[in-house]
Amino acid sequence: MSTTNDKTVSKVENKASTNDLSKSTPSRQQRKMRPAADIYETKEGATIYIDLPGVAKDGLDINIDQNVLSVEGEINLDTPDNLKPTYMDIRANMFSRQFTLSSELDINKVDANLKNGVLVLSIPRSEQHKPRKIEVKAA
Amino acid sequence: MISNMLRFSPSLFAELEGILSSELPGYSRNPAVNYPQVNMGVTDKSVEIYLFVPGMEASSLDVSLEKNLLSISAERAPEETDNKDALSRYERFSGKFKRVITLPDDVDPEQTDATYRDGILHISVAKKEETLPRKIEVSV
Repeated sequence: MSTTNDKTVSKVENKASTNDLSKSTPSRQQRKMRPAADIYETKEGATIYIDLPGVAKDGLDINIDQNVLSVEGEINLDTPDNLKPTYMDIRANMFSRQFTLSSELDINKVDANLKNGVLVLSIPRSEQHKPRKIEVKAA
Repeated sequence: MISNMLRFSPSLFAELEGILSSELPGYSRNPAVNYPQVNMGVTDKSVEIYLFVPGMEASSLDVSLEKNLLSISAERAPEETDNKDALSRYERFSGKFKRVITLPDDVDPEQTDATYRDGILHISVAKKEETLPRKIEVSV
């Protein structure tokens, strides 16, 4: 049986945004935005690339709760105090996204690397879920 | 009465969110469609431009300013991986891009400063001296 088509990472549908909308007064302090992500899945595990422009290492928060991986990053543009905005494509001040991980992935071995506003998360498949080749002995 | 009419249920917003995130022509929540995104602002002395271009090298960004036309172009290469078939979700922009921004007429192209940090290209263009606001003393 092939396991290559199994979805090991899937998106939690709008979990963060629906939570926010259900509050009676949306917080003006946190305007969250879903960052773009690419997900690669191989026999060894999964690699997630997330675009987080404006997020520095100390503004980044990565959490794993059960099998949900949450990434939150504060967008810091270092604007001068007296800046009057004239045009804004990005009004959010926070990136936020959650990924549901398969139990096949080893959440204790997540490797995170942030460079130039791109976060790379590498999550290996746990040993017992790695594909194994079975040698057939000649009779 | 009116205030009741204006109060929308949270589910209405969730529904609207759902409609907006679906493939409507001319509207996309996918950042790759409108790349790169830009924020702009002005201070008394300068015009500040912030481009959201993550995953670049500073040397690969081509920034030029001619009179009050600021153009930024570059190419964002796709991630180099051994196995392209392994891609199961693809949202991030890759390819060539160019964005031209018209700045106010009173900028001084000679005084431009561009820095690239944490995936943000920040360009600061000074305003011309003569157009800066001046305080005029009133003599008694």
